[in-house]
Amino acid sequence: MFKKLLSTFGIVFLLAQFAHAQTGTVTGVITDAETDETIIGATVFIPDLERGATTNVDGVFLLENVPVGSYTLRISFIGYQTIMEDIEVIAGEVTELNVALEAGVVGLDELVVTGYGVQERREITGSQAGVRARDIQDVPLQSAEQILQGRAAGVNIRTASGNPGGAMQVQVRGTGSINAASEPLYIVDGVPISFSQLGMPVDASSSPLNSIAPGDIESIEVLKDAAAASIYGSQAANGVVLITTKRGSAGVTQISARAETGFRNMSRNVDYLNTDEYLDYYGDAYFHNNLVASREEGRQAAEDFFLGFFGPAPGTDGLANTNWQNIIYRDDALTQKYNVSARGGDDRTRFFISAGYEDTEGHTTRSHFDRMNLRSNLDHEMTDRLRGSVNINIARSNQSGVCQDGNFINCPTSQAMFLPPMAFPWADEEQTEYAAHHPTWGVSSNPVATMREVPREVAILSIVSNVELDYHLADWINVRGSLGVDYRDTEETQHRTVVVSPADGGWTRVHDRRVENYTANLRANARYTFNDVHTINGLLGTEFRSDWTQRVTVQGEGFPGTFFRVLDAAAEPSTASGTETEWRIGSYFTNLRYNYDHRYYLTFTGRLDGHSRFGADTRWGFFPSVSAAWNLSDEDFFNIDEINELRFRASYGLTGNAEIGNFAARGLYSAVGSYMGDTGLTPTQLANVNLGWEQAEEINLGMDYSVFGGRLSGSVDVYTRENQELLFDRPLPIDSGFEDITENIGVVQNQGIEIDLRTVNISRADFSWSTSLNISFERNEILELPDGEPIRRDNSFTSLQEGEPIGLIQVARWAGVNPADGRPMWYDENGNITYTPTEDDLIKYNDGKSNRIGGIGNTLSYRGLTLDAFFEFQAGQWGDGSTDRAFTRTPDFLMNLHSKVKDRWQEPGDVTRVPRAIQSGTDYPETANYRTTLGTHVIHNAGYVRLKNVTLSYALPVGITEAIGIRNLRVFASGVNLITWTQWPWYDPEIAWDTRDIFQNVTTASYPTARQLNFGVEIDF
Amino acid sequence: MVGVALFFTGCEDLFDDVEPATSVSGEEALSSPEGVEAIRASMYSTVRAAKEYTTRYFIAPDSFTDLLRGRPGTTRYQGYNEATEGDGTTLHLTSWGASYDIIQDANLLIGGVPEGVLEPDVEELYRGEALAMRAFAMHHLVRGYGYEPGREVDGWDAGIIIRTDPVMDEEDADARPRNTVTEVYDQIIDDLDEAAGLLEGYVSQGRMDESFVHGLAARVHLYAGNYELAAQHAQTVIDIGEYPLADTESAVVGMFGLPGNPGSHPETIFLLVVDGSTEYFTAAFGDPLDWMVNTGPSAYTSNQWVAQLPVQQVLDRYEEGDYRLGWYNECFDHRDGSTPSDCDAVNDQGWTIDKFPASKHVGNQADDMPYMRTGEIYLILAEAEAKAANDPSAGAPALNTLRNARGVGNVPSSALASMEAFEDFILDERVRELIAEGHRFWDLKRLGRDIRNPDGSTKFRTDSHRILAPLPVDEFSVNELLTQNPGYPGGN
Repeated sequence: MFKKLLSTFGIVFLLAQFAHAQTGTVTGVITDAETDETIIGATVFIPDLERGATTNVDGVFLLENVPVGSYTLRISFIGYQTIMEDIEVIAGEVTELNVALEAGVVGLDELVVTGYGVQERREITGSQAGVRARDIQDVPLQSAEQILQGRAAGVNIRTASGNPGGAMQVQVRGTGSINAASEPLYIVDGVPISFSQLGMPVDASSSPLNSIAPGDIESIEVLKDAAAASIYGSQAANGVVLITTKRGSAGVTQISARAETGFRNMSRNVDYLNTDEYLDYYGDAYFHNNLVASREEGRQAAEDFFLGFFGPAPGTDGLANTNWQNIIYRDDALTQKYNVSARGGDDRTRFFISAGYEDTEGHTTRSHFDRMNLRSNLDHEMTDRLRGSVNINIARSNQSGVCQDGNFINCPTSQAMFLPPMAFPWADEEQTEYAAHHPTWGVSSNPVATMREVPREVAILSIVSNVELDYHLADWINVRGSLGVDYRDTEETQHRTVVVSPADGGWTRVHDRRVENYTANLRANARYTFNDVHTINGLLGTEFRSDWTQRVTVQGEGFPGTFFRVLDAAAEPSTASGTETEWRIGSYFTNLRYNYDHRYYLTFTGRLDGHSRFGADTRWGFFPSVSAAWNLSDEDFFNIDEINELRFRASYGLTGNAEIGNFAARGLYSAVGSYMGDTGLTPTQLANVNLGWEQAEEINLGMDYSVFGGRLSGSVDVYTRENQELLFDRPLPIDSGFEDITENIGVVQNQGIEIDLRTVNISRADFSWSTSLNISFERNEILELPDGEPIRRDNSFTSLQEGEPIGLIQVARWAGVNPADGRPMWYDENGNITYTPTEDDLIKYNDGKSNRIGGIGNTLSYRGLTLDAFFEFQAGQWGDGSTDRAFTRTPDFLMNLHSKVKDRWQEPGDVTRVPRAIQSGTDYPETANYRTTLGTHVIHNAGYVRLKNVTLSYALPVGITEAIGIRNLRVFASGVNLITWTQWPWYDPEIAWDTRDIFQNVTTASYPTARQLNFGVEIDF
Repeated sequence: MVGVALFFTGCEDLFDDVEPATSVSGEEALSSPEGVEAIRASMYSTVRAAKEYTTRYFIAPDSFTDLLRGRPGTTRYQGYNEATEGDGTTLHLTSWGASYDIIQDANLLIGGVPEGVLEPDVEELYRGEALAMRAFAMHHLVRGYGYEPGREVDGWDAGIIIRTDPVMDEEDADARPRNTVTEVYDQIIDDLDEAAGLLEGYVSQGRMDESFVHGLAARVHLYAGNYELAAQHAQTVIDIGEYPLADTESAVVGMFGLPGNPGSHPETIFLLVVDGSTEYFTAAFGDPLDWMVNTGPSAYTSNQWVAQLPVQQVLDRYEEGDYRLGWYNECFDHRDGSTPSDCDAVNDQGWTIDKFPASKHVGNQADDMPYMRTGEIYLILAEAEAKAANDPSAGAPALNTLRNARGVGNVPSSALASMEAFEDFILDERVRELIAEGHRFWDLKRLGRDIRNPDGSTKFRTDSHRILAPLPVDEFSVNELLTQNPGYPGGN
């Protein structure tokens, strides 16, 4: 395959030898219109040639060997209005161009990364949103998705784990798929990043985007509607995220060095009862259960019972009063982070190189993230017509994890909820021996033992690299070929010492997952303007991608002591297993654009994809889109001075989702289990030759505006998207031996409005204040299910019903506490009080979909001082904190009790929401188990407003920096997740069970999110 | 541009040569001897990997009745302990999906292998094993979802769906109504009769051999009330003599093994053999990270959760000197050497029942699993002979043989005073012999006894709808011909 492609490149190179060109030079000085001072670092760009240069310290730019012809130059610099200038390049002559830039905000002239290209914002007819490096440069987060959270309208991002570097769930414009994946396609500098992995991570949650250091990112663009995304065809139905890293520009080499440090702690704690309060509660329970005559007697009996059950705290004769949250979580997790980068070059070669190191401790004791990353982006013009670039990113990250993100008895994050204050971690005062801590569970699930005796490491080596060659056949047409690789090796190692696993003498498991993801494409791009007003752009391309993943797991057990942990030291191997899988996709794509006088724009995009996942009958799918825009403000008749820019957009198109599993269409007999030395083979899937893509049909209407001289600008988008042909496992009678067959049957609709608003409130020479706001309103509805039948009709959290959103919650309505006897009450289907609700009594009660999400940021600058405050919010999501709910409201298993039980019913006449004290959920006479019976009382509003990030930075005045011989020196302080306002009673209101959770209405004991506070300095030479 | 033209020449190959690493097509699987042998392995492996055929099979029938109760602070099978007739309660000894998985594998071996793929003798052997396996799974299904033939309450005679053909494509997965219990028992008995012929002379403890076919036939006939046939088949097993009763204290005590030491299982007729390193209970689906070692019978009874302990009334049923007391041990978690708390809240000695002592691998809590032992065959023989003759003394010889082998004396004369007394005594003897081997609930059900708590209070009566298991609710929308058992939600 690749040989074939390489030979194609060869042909292109040969053609290059026959081409000759006549060229000229363009040079000039760029200045500030107000002060006449020269501007250093301004960009001068020729869009037709996709070539540019940067001004040097004297404000001078130089573009040599420019082919003869007339061009429009684009001159831009941050904080200034972009200017377009027409020039004529004459053979062998120097064309001079001096430009004065006016201060102002960026508008439609801004260059934006799009699918397979770069366009001015005015040319874009689809819907996309993004963030720029300058908005996020100081935010101390580990990956691109984390940075994007709350900053792009219509992009809903939640933490699946608070582990530093943990995975995020990203949804663009709602949940569109039920059984196929709903993650967007990520592309870093043209390389699609694979999210394939065989088997879920077990030792720490980890994002594949961790390999891209946030400091290297120039921009992140999210392609939201079909017009923007359909060029990625069958991979685009969940949106596309384009990550572009920084590149060099001609001029003096700029070196930038950064160092920062800080700390991390819990963003929220939960208030549990202490031992004293626990005794009160349990004494009350004895009293109500008529086991004792008075509350005081009950309290004494409880103390005696607990002393017998837990034993006295070491070195005392009384009960312990342990705050497990203080043991499991820490306040002083440290971060250090260093980065050095250099960018520069001459008119033929430009480079950006960057190296970084980050070391961040997690706030769960002994969890940790570190990363080394190295990036080199090189651009070189070999001849006037042939250019090449090479991007290489190598990153090595290590996460020391703890067991997390699930309701597991031996996970510290669960144990923080499970362990009552009467339990204690050490058996002796000297802390030499682990306590059985909770007698029911034993040493092996003592969190102190788990954290010390069960080291878990996730080491990821990632290489994301591509090579691109660009040949200009003529001034109006160029051909590009690129070859990209995304390689990731994830090695998870877990060791259990003999202390916690005495039966087998301790064990070590190494779980290696490898992803090799190759992409090659070839594309031709033409641009031609005739009669001065008709401009045609055409892109024609072809691409091939193969994504191969492998998993190998080995485990050995029986270690001679606690000092070895490698497999060589294991007495015997106990597990060896592994498998591999692959998919391939081949495509043709096109993007045809026409505009008339920069007023009327028309775009057609289409992609034809062939995919190995589908049978011969449905292998090829076509995903077209059409879109148009009208720049009203450029019309001659438009003469409202206050409105600087106004344009309208409309688009319609199709995208696909092929994330159905690699062999979903085939009839399969799979290797499952073994017996007496023979591997088992059993039918696992019936063939379905008609299985095809999921398809998203989307209409988007948009408006971009800029008024009052750019003081107020933004966009509004309205969309409706129907995800059709959804893959459903149509249930078969299970007596057939098969549970279901996958078919294309369902329809889900997402509709929404997205508003983006940027204002410059104050703009004076020494003080400025700007605000950005984005908010999106979303609505999710299931339109069609197999046979119209609800799926899991009576399930509280995973029921799917036509006319309802995904994530519908169904529970019985809570009727409060009976003031007479303190029993919990529910309403039955007829509205009467019941103590034993049944499935018939369920009501539809909210859902797990956030339907209002967004963010507000304010930036204030006074001379060198800049304050940036960013709030993020989500509303409309409700959910069940399942672990907390099931284990911290009643003392069934002598676990923690949430402090809410202090409001419990005490005596007849009390009106409260918390029933009387009990020993176990089944204690109330003739009443359903209070611990396990759901009701509206356990479904909480997970909406929140969060002060996501505050950054304060100070840049030394130019006079001082010049005196000490540096270009720039900046100090900054930045915090993440500083304050959260929410009604959610448990750890964190961000609910995602894992990155593929579509219901978003149940969370277990996951690793809670962290608050991070960093301080740093940045020096530019 | 030449490259673009070249790019997809012959491109369909690019997609077609992507093959799954651990799956093959049906044609490949069924048309080679290795493939068929692998399907046979899957049939046994499916039994081992399903909780319905392991922990739920062996432990739950005792937790659901009056033999095992939860250690304070544990939750495993608390639901079975507490289940009563109360509204909204659907917990039962269900096995609908898992049983049909086994039946599907068996049906493939019986009807899915093209002629000529296997040597004739091998084909006969596989067919015999598959028929026996299908009968075994169908009997476990029908005793859960239907009454025994002739014991129908209010004329409710629905059994299960009989499937005897392999499902090869979507059309085979059709909707069918439930057959009557009589039809189901007839099918089971036909299968066993054919299997007995095919497996004549075949001995294999780890597979369905001739002795097992007759043993299962004895069990099925006993449930169906065909006492003479039950006695005949039981006698056949004893006559074949491959799995004689253990009759010394050390042989009895040691038959189930010790932690890390496999048992000798001299009298186990079908022993599901488990590789302790790789075959844990539900880790069947390829991913070794899906470790669920803590759901096996060992984790429930003698390790880790130590959740279901014998009640005092069980221990009180033994006479002093009964070798079988050696199957009980003091509470001790061999995984981490800890002593679980509050074991003595369930019985005075704080004992656990150690028939699943993690004998094949302590860390993985793995054991070989005995689905039928000669001890049960003698109990069937005793009960069937007494009932066939309507004379307790007719059952005494078989019972005495068993009891003497267990170190206790002959049946006391009081037990031979009446058929009622004899049945009571047989039930107690079955507790002593077969605790934690998956019998108590079924014995009480087939004999029309109420389900009680250890203290004698009623959990639910024999005429309660709770005696039958509910069919899975989701099935009624898929299969409109399916009916629910009385008193449960759903149904057409």
